[in-house]
Amino acid sequence: MENLSRWDGTISSTEFRIAATTLSKKWEVINPELPPWTWIESPKPFWVTSLEVEGYLSLENYSYKFSSDDADNRICVDTQAHENLVDTLCGSRSSCQKEEPVSFGNEEEPVDSATLVLNDDDKKELHYYDFHIVYSNSYRVPVLYSRGYRSDGQILTLDEIERDLPANSLKVLRESKWTFITQEEHPLLNRPWYTLHPCGTSEWMKLLFLGGYSQAKGGSSSCSVMQQYLVSWLSVVGQAVGLNVPLEMISDFHHLCTIDNVTSSNGNSVTTS
Amino acid sequence: MTSESPNSSRKVVVHLRATGDAPILKQAKFKIAGTDKFAKVIDFLRRQLHRDTLFVYVNSAFSPNPDELVNDLYNNFGFDGKLVVNYACSMAWG
Repeated sequence: MENLSRWDGTISSTEFRIAATTLSKKWEVINPELPPWTWIESPKPFWVTSLEVEGYLSLENYSYKFSSDDADNRICVDTQAHENLVDTLCGSRSSCQKEEPVSFGNEEEPVDSATLVLNDDDKKELHYYDFHIVYSNSYRVPVLYSRGYRSDGQILTLDEIERDLPANSLKVLRESKWTFITQEEHPLLNRPWYTLHPCGTSEWMKLLFLGGYSQAKGGSSSCSVMQQYLVSWLSVVGQAVGLNVPLEMISDFHHLCTIDNVTSSNGNSVTTS
Repeated sequence: MTSESPNSSRKVVVHLRATGDAPILKQAKFKIAGTDKFAKVIDFLRRQLHRDTLFVYVNSAFSPNPDELVNDLYNNFGFDGKLVVNYACSMAWG
């Protein structure tokens, strides 16, 4: 990528690996209280002869924190949530029948005791999310995969995930059902995960860097663009799924880039690290 | 910057810059309270351009969360006394 103005917004898998290292390092420094982004090497099928190591970035057990107002509203207003709650309770109780209408009256002592946890202070049932960033060889861009689950490990349905999404994302999802978040096979784990569609990625990444980077402090070398790629990408993608990227991830970038220069130029010639 | 007052009530000059296919605004610079959220800038652009979906980002290839404060954005990305905000109309996922 010699010339930024002719760049098409895509990156190679080697560049993805470099950008991944930067993202996980910076994330750890700036968000020490959050789960880290870890590089996971995935086993290659034996018939693949490429020297390239396949892998992906993974952030697991991320949970959204809600204010007490949100939690109360969600539990009181949302009848669907009630039903799901009942499902969860029934799932863990063999004696309880799923179809049985449940009222939270006095005679239903066992159910009451279980709901206590949810109504306790500002706690609500926590949803956990795993996020994977996988490089797509066909689009030559990173793709976000995610799945949500309850603390007991039960996987969340799309309906339930929708309720955790930021309002704006929900709107986009309603308008473009098949071109935003859909369920697809995770390319390296071969299981169904939710994914954000990558078709538009290179276009908006190009805009992001052409419009935003050329006049930034410190100018633009291909080194820094490539390292910054995933952080910039996550600032857009993270908003779609409610994963916030702090400003500090970018603002001190030029400083860190100078330090990392040596690492990245070495990284180009080494396939594994 | 030493010349700037650390007062949180100061105003920040926002420079709106069109990129991609976006139309240029008649008034590209305006002042906004530093204590306002970035969402206010996005809403202003939406109203001006009559578009719901916008791609809004700052001058370091970063798309800030709408909940960020303008002051924080200015402190991290502002220079020459202003915060440059780029906008494009096309933002397609798939």
